[in-house]
Amino acid sequence: MHFYQDPQFGNRMLTLMAAFVLVLQIAMVGQRWLITNIRIFAAQSFLLAGIANTIAYFNHAPHLYIAAFLTLALKAVLLPFLLERMVKKIDIGQEIAPLINVPLSLLISGGLTTVGYVVAQSFHRPAEAASPASLGHNTLAVAISLFLIGFYMMISRRKAFMQVLALLCLENGLFLAAISLTYGMPLIVELGVFFDLLVAVMVLGILVYRIQETFDSMDVSRLSRLRG
Amino acid sequence: MPGMVLFIILAIPLAAGALSFAARKRPAMEAINVTAFAVLFLFTIVLAAEVLRAGSISVLNDFLYADALSALVVVLTAFVALVCSIYAVGYFRHDERNHVFEEDVLGSVTIAKLRKYYSLTPLFVFALLMVALANNLGVMWVAIEATTLTTVFLITFYGRATSLEAAWKYAMIGGVGLSLALFGTILTYYSAYPIVGTDSVAGLNWSVLVKNAAQFDKTSMRIAFILILLGYGTKAGIAPMHTWKPDAYSEAPVPVAAMLAAAVLNCALYGLIRFNVLAAKCLGPQFGSQLLIFFGLLSIGVAVPFVLVQRSFRRLLAYSSIDHGGIMILGLGFGGAFGALGMLLHMTFHSVTKPLLFFCAGNIQQHLKTDLFRRTNGGLIYSMPVSASMFLMGTLAVTGTAPFSMFQSEFAILRAGFDRALFVPATLCVALLAAIFTGFLGHIVKLVLGADRGLPPAQVCRWKKYPLVGLGTLIVILGFWLPSPVFQLIRNAARIAAGEP
Repeated sequence: MHFYQDPQFGNRMLTLMAAFVLVLQIAMVGQRWLITNIRIFAAQSFLLAGIANTIAYFNHAPHLYIAAFLTLALKAVLLPFLLERMVKKIDIGQEIAPLINVPLSLLISGGLTTVGYVVAQSFHRPAEAASPASLGHNTLAVAISLFLIGFYMMISRRKAFMQVLALLCLENGLFLAAISLTYGMPLIVELGVFFDLLVAVMVLGILVYRIQETFDSMDVSRLSRLRG
Repeated sequence: MPGMVLFIILAIPLAAGALSFAARKRPAMEAINVTAFAVLFLFTIVLAAEVLRAGSISVLNDFLYADALSALVVVLTAFVALVCSIYAVGYFRHDERNHVFEEDVLGSVTIAKLRKYYSLTPLFVFALLMVALANNLGVMWVAIEATTLTTVFLITFYGRATSLEAAWKYAMIGGVGLSLALFGTILTYYSAYPIVGTDSVAGLNWSVLVKNAAQFDKTSMRIAFILILLGYGTKAGIAPMHTWKPDAYSEAPVPVAAMLAAAVLNCALYGLIRFNVLAAKCLGPQFGSQLLIFFGLLSIGVAVPFVLVQRSFRRLLAYSSIDHGGIMILGLGFGGAFGALGMLLHMTFHSVTKPLLFFCAGNIQQHLKTDLFRRTNGGLIYSMPVSASMFLMGTLAVTGTAPFSMFQSEFAILRAGFDRALFVPATLCVALLAAIFTGFLGHIVKLVLGADRGLPPAQVCRWKKYPLVGLGTLIVILGFWLPSPVFQLIRNAARIAAGEP
């Protein structure tokens, strides 16, 4: 048997790629530069497409190839391109200015990863060896960690732009959860989610642009006139 | 072919959006919108009649599916869209005459602004209808997300700094909430996966899931339901995820705010009902019920202090909407035949009453050029007799005062609570509702009644007056008589919401 037909090999590849995805996510928390953050997001999406491909190949789930392709085209190429162009166009300050300093943020991300692993344990169904979670049990833990760290980034970053990026990371976590739990959602849902994501980034992009124009800043803590 | 009506219902708003986008003049856009929504409303009644006759209809291998519950939500959505489109004509004409559009910091042209409103609103309505008609719970999520995306630019309509702030909060809080809901949907799929198997089209169809819900994996379904409750609860503006609501409702143009308050609330709750049925079948009714009662009471409770000390009547309406979302959630939580029936009756009456309040508030705001109570000196009944008296009547109706219909639905919900011996939540609910009644009525009485300030009588054009009179008449009629086909539809929908076969 060739190594590329061996499910054990597939499992290891998945774990390796999922580990890299997690590393990239934590790198994003530790990063201070906007452009680098966008590129890390692109790399992460590229790995996600790889994971989706691997799962599709070893579990004979052909519709996942489409999801993998869309992830590659949309999240690894098109969205990073659009986001970078926007950063250059509106000439926002390059530095991120987080509310919480980097070492503490990294520590919190580590804690959230632990939480992710604990939560993923509760979904483990050892009785059903044939169930998809047995293939990517680690992947689910990474997915939940991604989701939680995405949340954390969202509340700890002041720039409107970074919050959009954090939302995209949240979505990456969801995509990973979907493919590791059930080989992805039904194809029609997957397509709809991608479409929504694309529109959402455009809508939020325009909104960020207008906030920058109006307030001459992207600091969302300035958005505080409405209260009561 | 009976399923044809489903296609027509979805096609009308899409066509109207495209036509309005292509139209060059304001009257054309107005005509397209009003006509389209009037025709749409007629077709939704046809759908409701079909559903009453046949039980449920579906097309495209069950991709689109309508039972009594979806038909009810569709009819209400179309109704709200119709009255809002009529009111919008007068509202935006008034804005145009008073050069409100020129205050935009980015200075876009009037016709471009109107085109934005008249072409995005049909798309928004399309998304709302899709929520109710999609059988696949994943597609339903996509449609709910689409309602957020189509409304972001409607909230920034006036282009003020504050409206950008409102839209940003709306988009971000909504986005995070819906990502929770998507996670919940994925977990629901996971818990159903070993039973219904993988299917790249119909795998998440509600009509399939509901038949097998008892065998789903319990652990993941439990987490899924909590995530769904938080996610769609955010979209419905349930406390503590309600913070976007007052901002968005006070910054959006009045017709948009009315649609957010009446139609989006219904659709978000509709999503919640669908999942609640699955969760109740899988985990037993107790689990979801406790959570729903908790969040329902929390929403009503959060609204109380903000209603009591409110400074702006637009924001007052937003807190009233949070309160009513809470009441409906509470009804669903109390459960049983009465709880679900009370909730859906409440949804129906709320969808009729809330637009009236928003329209009155819109007329008053356009006349006085402010929405702050302290800049108004009372006595509005003299300068704006129709809008002010309707505002007072709508306030009595929406706070659940006796002859009006919302009293009946709240009574049904409370009765469901007492039937199940949930004395503490039901009594607490009565106390909180009384506090809201006092605060709300106190504010509006001070605004409407009082000595004549000698303000000149307001020029209210008929487009802004007739929807008020029409809705007011409807509310009075509904207080005494609910047509039996409508009640039949609501009762069938309540059976579905209560999980009865």
